[in-house]
Amino acid sequence: MANSIKLEIITPSKMFYRGFVELVIVTTLEGDEGFMYGHSWACKLLDIGELWIQEEGANKDDFRIAAIAGGFIDVKDSIIIYTDAVEWAEDIDKERSQHEKEAAEAWLAEHKNDGDPRDIEAARLAITKANVRGQVAEGSHRHGK
Amino acid sequence: MAVESMQDIKRRIKSVTSTEHITNAMKLVSAGKLRKAKAIFEKTNENSHYITHTIAEIFNSHPDDVPSEYLEGNREIKTTCYIVVTSCRGLCGGFNSNVLKEAQREIDSDWEEPVILAIGTKGKEYFEKRGYNVFDDYLAPPENISFLETREMSRPIIEMYNKGEIDEVVLIYTAFISSMEQEVRNITLLPFEVEHDPEILKHNKQVEYEPSVKEVFNYLIPKYVEMMIHAAVVESATCEHAARRMAMENATDNAREMLDKLSLNYNRARQAAITDEIIEIVAGAEAQK
Repeated sequence: MANSIKLEIITPSKMFYRGFVELVIVTTLEGDEGFMYGHSWACKLLDIGELWIQEEGANKDDFRIAAIAGGFIDVKDSIIIYTDAVEWAEDIDKERSQHEKEAAEAWLAEHKNDGDPRDIEAARLAITKANVRGQVAEGSHRHGK
Repeated sequence: MAVESMQDIKRRIKSVTSTEHITNAMKLVSAGKLRKAKAIFEKTNENSHYITHTIAEIFNSHPDDVPSEYLEGNREIKTTCYIVVTSCRGLCGGFNSNVLKEAQREIDSDWEEPVILAIGTKGKEYFEKRGYNVFDDYLAPPENISFLETREMSRPIIEMYNKGEIDEVVLIYTAFISSMEQEVRNITLLPFEVEHDPEILKHNKQVEYEPSVKEVFNYLIPKYVEMMIHAAVVESATCEHAARRMAMENATDNAREMLDKLSLNYNRARQAAITDEIIEIVAGAEAQK
């Protein structure tokens, strides 16, 4: 059996997950990356994307999946992931996510040329987030699965 | 005993009673709010301390990797930005004045013109009245400030720091020790002070930073400031309710004590009036003989 490593996922308002895992897959700014026990120390920024974890003792293809809104991962003797927002796939409210996406798109279409660049950026981010959440909720798979 | 008229005493009793009702109601309200705020605070506190510790640990264990402008001793400190967290409402005892006193002391010890970010109306009013440069303020009641809003607050600070308009960021807020005890704290957020603590071993392990060391720290440092401000705001809101509850409890107690005295006086005055009447009757009867 593979060795497991302690993982903690923290958001500003709560401890989202704490437990031992065999494998964590995250989307860093450079692409998808998996971390296992004994990884060299790292401190990486995360992109908006999917988070996969394989819990200790889980089957080989058994992953828990969540949508994550960026953040950073700190890999030492244990792994800490900090993020502003994260949701398990099964908890995502698809309708709300779709709604937010439409609202952001409508706003963007209207203010494309006259909006504050920061707001435009925020709207783009909102769309990306909604897309990822939609994807995660639909159960779309990456890593060729 | 100075005999006040019964009418006067009665009037005072009435007014003190209604004051007592108000303070007692406020006490109950703030006790309820305190309970709610405390629950949020405890939840947030655990996480945000955890995360700020994690970030602080990254800084501490790899001071060589941190961009030097964020570290203490690498730039001359001229203009200091004070983030003062107060409440929006009064009637909370010494809560606001303690924070403001500490802030004023800090500002006075520095001859440079300070830049102030006031969170809560009390702080804003105080500094504006005294002609300080309050560059920004957030006046929503602190218990309603969300993490996103603290993010909005900290952005201009980081920008100013990076531009060199401010060289130091000090956070002054009230820390929650217990429902009975709160303490004003001031923390220097930036530049970051590396603790030369022998407990924290310098690791010689190579750490992978991605996409680059600079970008990682450019993300972490604002995050650290945001988290600290967020934690301070939540903590301060809890303290406000605790302080108000205490103040209102004291006010209620005082009002009750006063009522006791007043009703004693009232009874005495009433008794005196009765005695007077009896004396008059007896004297009248004697005179008839």
